[in-house]
Amino acid sequence: MSHVIQLALAVGEAAARPSAGPARGPVPVPLAGAVAVAAAAREAGITAIRLLDGVAAGHVLDPTVVGAYLAGLHDGLGYIAEVPTTHNPPYNAARRVLSLDRATGGLAGVALRAGGGDEVSRAAAPDPRAADPAARWSEYAHVLTRLWESFPRAALIGDQEAGVVVDDSLVRPIDHEGAFYRVAGPLDGPSSAQGRPVVVADLGDLDVLDVTAVAWSADVVVVDRERAAGADAALTEALRRAGRSREEVALLGRVEIARDDLDPGDPATGAVLADDLRDWAGEHRLDGFELVPTGGADAVVAAVRALTPRLRDTAGSPASARPGTLRAALGLPEPAAVAA
Amino acid sequence: MSRRLHLNVNILNAGVFGGSWRFPGTDGTASYTIEHYTSIAKKAEQAKLDAVFLADGPSLDPQIRHRTSNNLEPTTVLARIAARTERIGLIGTLSSSYNDPVELARRLGDLDYVSGGRFGWNVVTTAGAVAARNFGRTREPDHALRYRRAAEFTEQVVTAWAARTGLVSPQGRPVVVQAGGSSDGRRLAARVGEVIFSADRDIEHARAFRAEIRRGAVAFGRRPEDVVVLPGLSTVVGGTEAEARARRELLDEILPREYARNRLAGQLGICLDGLSDDEPIPPELLVDPDEAGGSQTFYRVVKTIIETERPTLGGLLKKLSGGGGHRIVVGTPEQIADDIELWFRTGAADGFNVMPDVLPSGFDDFADHVVPELRRRGLFRTDYEGTTLRDHLGLGLPAAGPYELRPLEPAL
Repeated sequence: MSHVIQLALAVGEAAARPSAGPARGPVPVPLAGAVAVAAAAREAGITAIRLLDGVAAGHVLDPTVVGAYLAGLHDGLGYIAEVPTTHNPPYNAARRVLSLDRATGGLAGVALRAGGGDEVSRAAAPDPRAADPAARWSEYAHVLTRLWESFPRAALIGDQEAGVVVDDSLVRPIDHEGAFYRVAGPLDGPSSAQGRPVVVADLGDLDVLDVTAVAWSADVVVVDRERAAGADAALTEALRRAGRSREEVALLGRVEIARDDLDPGDPATGAVLADDLRDWAGEHRLDGFELVPTGGADAVVAAVRALTPRLRDTAGSPASARPGTLRAALGLPEPAAVAA
Repeated sequence: MSRRLHLNVNILNAGVFGGSWRFPGTDGTASYTIEHYTSIAKKAEQAKLDAVFLADGPSLDPQIRHRTSNNLEPTTVLARIAARTERIGLIGTLSSSYNDPVELARRLGDLDYVSGGRFGWNVVTTAGAVAARNFGRTREPDHALRYRRAAEFTEQVVTAWAARTGLVSPQGRPVVVQAGGSSDGRRLAARVGEVIFSADRDIEHARAFRAEIRRGAVAFGRRPEDVVVLPGLSTVVGGTEAEARARRELLDEILPREYARNRLAGQLGICLDGLSDDEPIPPELLVDPDEAGGSQTFYRVVKTIIETERPTLGGLLKKLSGGGGHRIVVGTPEQIADDIELWFRTGAADGFNVMPDVLPSGFDDFADHVVPELRRRGLFRTDYEGTTLRDHLGLGLPAAGPYELRPLEPAL
């Protein structure tokens, strides 16, 4: 099978003075650099760009805004916006992500980050004592997926003769009431061309998410090197308990790529690294990679160009033959309806 | 420098009328596609308008069966428009009732940066139980609390923008746009509003309103010219007067009746059951606007019509035609330009938030025929003189505050 390749990118401005100690993770690239990265990523056949929020090495622009902006310039690849639960009422996050998804024709997703609550929901929280971030993540993701299905695309009729815009009998509130949130719905806009936006869960996120917490809602699960061993088996079992199968989720291994890892003058360095990564993916049954180049816009473009063709396993197939939606590009089936 | 006329286009999905989406030759569901918004924005930029304006509320309109409604989130739409245009200003409506101020200040400041200093935030309070239920509430917060929160929320957001040291846009920070016509809303407008999107049908009243807002601004230590007052203006353009009237008539005919009744009843918080279209509306049905929930601006407009004109229910529905109660001008490009010129020159408006009858055709007509007529009269720019929304509006960057920041009261 061909490997999925997701590119992690922080867009904004590097900190003037790096904080003490080696800053982990990527350095934000400026907006103009991000535009060049998106162009290169599309050309190379990257599946999706995950726009990071809140990195150590600088200030990051809002990923939903940057995603919508970049998608307006370079379409044809996926855009996954990181959105933290913190400060984001779920109804608002659901709207932004679905709007981005509809604007891109079904090429968007959200990397939901675990965290705290928001000022609006907190004041009306069903259980004010509920605080576990993993439990919040699960409930939040569940609310998102249900909201994204609350107004099915098929309900949008636009029968000018009969004077009916929407068959409102198909549009249903979700009437969610959990420990953290109470959300009635439905959402204001019809569902996406890909069923619903893709949900990415990062098992490295604050060290709070595990396969059990994400099994109900995640479409993509990202693990880092240290956690890759056994991740496939654990995920398969957690999905089975949630009534889902392993085929419904893409498991990606995260790889940080420092500037020194690739020598632009020596293509062999790219080939060696790609071979190493493919072996790693094979060993741990990973469906693909999340590349995290850490060296600025030029280094990101260089890494994308050097590694993507070697990692995709699709020699000979033209990049223009890419599937129409992000779900299809990830090799995922159309999502089943979410149970209440 | 002489005063300059300002024009925004309000891309109110399919158009301001309840039947706009059914207008012959119109794609009824175009407003559910992003291209609808980006292509109108491009047209507005070609016409050198100040900005595009997006209305919004975080809920599904219960009347969705019979009319198109807002269905895309404004910051993501405007970010895409920013990618596809270069100069046009980008104004989006975002609720102070149902956003976290920390998140909103960051996102809107970032949108301003990404767009190169073209963003304006239309601050609204969100009325209605439908939206409230999407945020854990069972009913809308009362009007005074909504506005108290809106004032404090806005000050907090503006303070956060002013404190940014990195990723600052060329215009310094977004323009604050404010619409409320209620007494609470006017106070907020005088204090922090830079563009006032008002709803006025009467020129005398509009003149008094603008004067009051400008006096209010001065009372808060601002200059009168720091505030740009743009009433909503619904336009029905025809090649001849007869053509325009026919277009207006047709819009009435295609207005889904059930929609119009339900909407009026919902917005006024009253029951119209049992009242036929040819009966007058009993004034005693209406309560005082300050006691009514929902939009007070709309309420006041309708109450005035009912009290002064004593229309039948059918007559009132026709008059409003499913619109938001904004003034409707029907006529040739010259007649519409006459109206705009009169309001502008006599101090009733600094320009207009134009709400075309049908989108995109009504806006195409406005841009292709009314704008050139305004140019011929020397009222409207022939090209942009700057790159930011503040440049277009002739607004400087006022000092932010100082505000006494208090903990926000949740709109419960």
